[in-house]
Amino acid sequence: MATLQLDNIIKDFGSTRVLKGIDLEVKDREFVVFVGPSGCGKSTLLRTIAGLESASSGDIKINGQRVNEIGPAERGLAMVFQSYALYPHMSVEDNMGFSLRLAKVPRAERREKIRAAARILQLEELLDRKPRALSGGQRQRVAIGRAIVRNPSIFLFDEPLSNLDAALRVQMRIELTRLHHELNATMIYVTHDQVEAMTMADKIVVLQGGSVEQIGSPMELYHHPRNRFVAGFIGSPKMNFLDVEVHGVGPTGVDLALPGGACRIPVVGDDINVGDTLTLGIRPEHLKLDDHGSLEGDIVLTERLGGVTSLYLDHLGKEWILVADGNIVHRVHERVRFSFDPSCAHLFKSNGQSLDRLQRHPLAGVECEGSRVNAI
Amino acid sequence: MTAPKRWLPFTVKTVLLVLLLLWTLVPIVWMVLSSFKPNSVITANTPRIFFTPTLEHYASLFSGGNSLWPYLMNSLSIAGVSTLIAVVLGCMAGFGLSRIRLKGKKHLAFWIISTRMAPIAAVIVPMYLLFRYLYLLDTYAGLIVAYLSFNLPFAIWLMTAFFDDLPPDLEEAAMIDGATKFQAFRYVVLPLMTPGLVTTAILCFIFAWNDYAFAQTFSGPSTQTIPIAAAQLLTQTGIDWGKLLAIGTVVVCPMAIAGLLVKRWMVQGLTLGAVK
Repeated sequence: MATLQLDNIIKDFGSTRVLKGIDLEVKDREFVVFVGPSGCGKSTLLRTIAGLESASSGDIKINGQRVNEIGPAERGLAMVFQSYALYPHMSVEDNMGFSLRLAKVPRAERREKIRAAARILQLEELLDRKPRALSGGQRQRVAIGRAIVRNPSIFLFDEPLSNLDAALRVQMRIELTRLHHELNATMIYVTHDQVEAMTMADKIVVLQGGSVEQIGSPMELYHHPRNRFVAGFIGSPKMNFLDVEVHGVGPTGVDLALPGGACRIPVVGDDINVGDTLTLGIRPEHLKLDDHGSLEGDIVLTERLGGVTSLYLDHLGKEWILVADGNIVHRVHERVRFSFDPSCAHLFKSNGQSLDRLQRHPLAGVECEGSRVNAI
Repeated sequence: MTAPKRWLPFTVKTVLLVLLLLWTLVPIVWMVLSSFKPNSVITANTPRIFFTPTLEHYASLFSGGNSLWPYLMNSLSIAGVSTLIAVVLGCMAGFGLSRIRLKGKKHLAFWIISTRMAPIAAVIVPMYLLFRYLYLLDTYAGLIVAYLSFNLPFAIWLMTAFFDDLPPDLEEAAMIDGATKFQAFRYVVLPLMTPGLVTTAILCFIFAWNDYAFAQTFSGPSTQTIPIAAAQLLTQTGIDWGKLLAIGTVVVCPMAIAGLLVKRWMVQGLTLGAVK
């Protein structure tokens, strides 16, 4: 049982404000992912939760108890570092048992706990080795094992997979998700990789410039981004954006004038007026090649991934990305027509805020957990 | 076809290394060899490589009225204590300086090491006057303070560099594991710093062990060190070459062995594997 609550966390480094009032609630057994570009403050936020940095103001509460003045040792958390931070002079066993040794746990009990964690992570054969004799993936496992042995209330992960190669990253991602289920633990995970965030999180916290842009389930963020930043950050390849003029506003949506004709986007346009300029956002996977489509562009580049092909299109001087079937035969310099389903499109005001959709996506409220149990 | 090209730089390198080795080793080997030669052979006009070795110079060094023992003990005590203090304080200060977030930290570090750059000749007279007022002349404490004034900045600077190489993640991981700051330092940082500590200690010890200027100025009859004993053999009536070379050997050998030991300690060797 472990919950975490952050109330208006502010962190200053000298005159630079790195965290600008973060509010967050992490429920018991939740897998929360902090995601954002480099320098957005996600690692600082994690370190503040861990107690490695002190918050300049605001409250950090673990299980309802304020822990601001409590050191990292007493917060009962475990953290896996990006660099693994294994103690190089200690064997795997000593690395994993270091916290128990400090807590003066008897040797036999210590051994038992280390063996149990090693079994979960398939490290039993490696217990006598030094970290330098391990591969990257094995080191990562030891770092996780060290956290498990501690039996923490909350697990903290600081970009733990960023030093691994692509294949190992996918494997560890699945293992971490499985671990979350096996341990029934609350986990907070920092990454700049939105794929990791989407695939692992129950709840994603998107950060930018030290502020929270949006908190929600992966599907919520994908289908109902609160602003242009979140829309652009979540989803790969990036969402396409186009400045458009409003032609009409009605109860069924906002009418736009597009280069190839008009279209109605089903969003709430209460404070929108005819003549306003908005930004239309369409995900590359929601664009489709269509001989009768209202938009057209020249193919600048194709990226064939096998199953799908990304087409980079030049549409009125702007680059658009369209994700098409892997078997399409179009080549560079060809002119193609394309269209989109207005119900999948997004509209953003000039301040970046999105207009609410008239209908919520059926999956928007679904957390990863449901799909994950079936998937594994 | 590429073999000769690779072979050539290798040969040049080897030749240069051999020349350098000769340049450094010949005087030392000659000194050690000669310390075992009878007086007549040492000063023989045709230098002799083959001779019947004798320990007479060493025997006369460590016996009789003016034995080398007190000098040796003085040297060991003064160099040992000043090294110990320099390493302990240097280690703590270096850790602090490496980890603290401070504006102008680099300037502070440079200021500390810049005090080591002052020429001994420039500070020796003011220090003499200070020591006289403080009754530190002809005391162990006086010489220890004198060596510390040069060794401490050096130790801080060197240890800071070693600590900079050690990722702070390790201490932080230890603290998350439940260690206090001191426990993290004691169980994680210090064992990894052994190479740095040994290197710093040896270099500080060498400075104090070899020093002549401070010892000549600040020591008195009860605190004279080995370099002073060696200098006393250069008298107006003549030079006792045998004893002088034996003293030289006694001074150089421990340091040469220690130097060889330092070579083994490479900080990278131990920290490898800690972080990717």
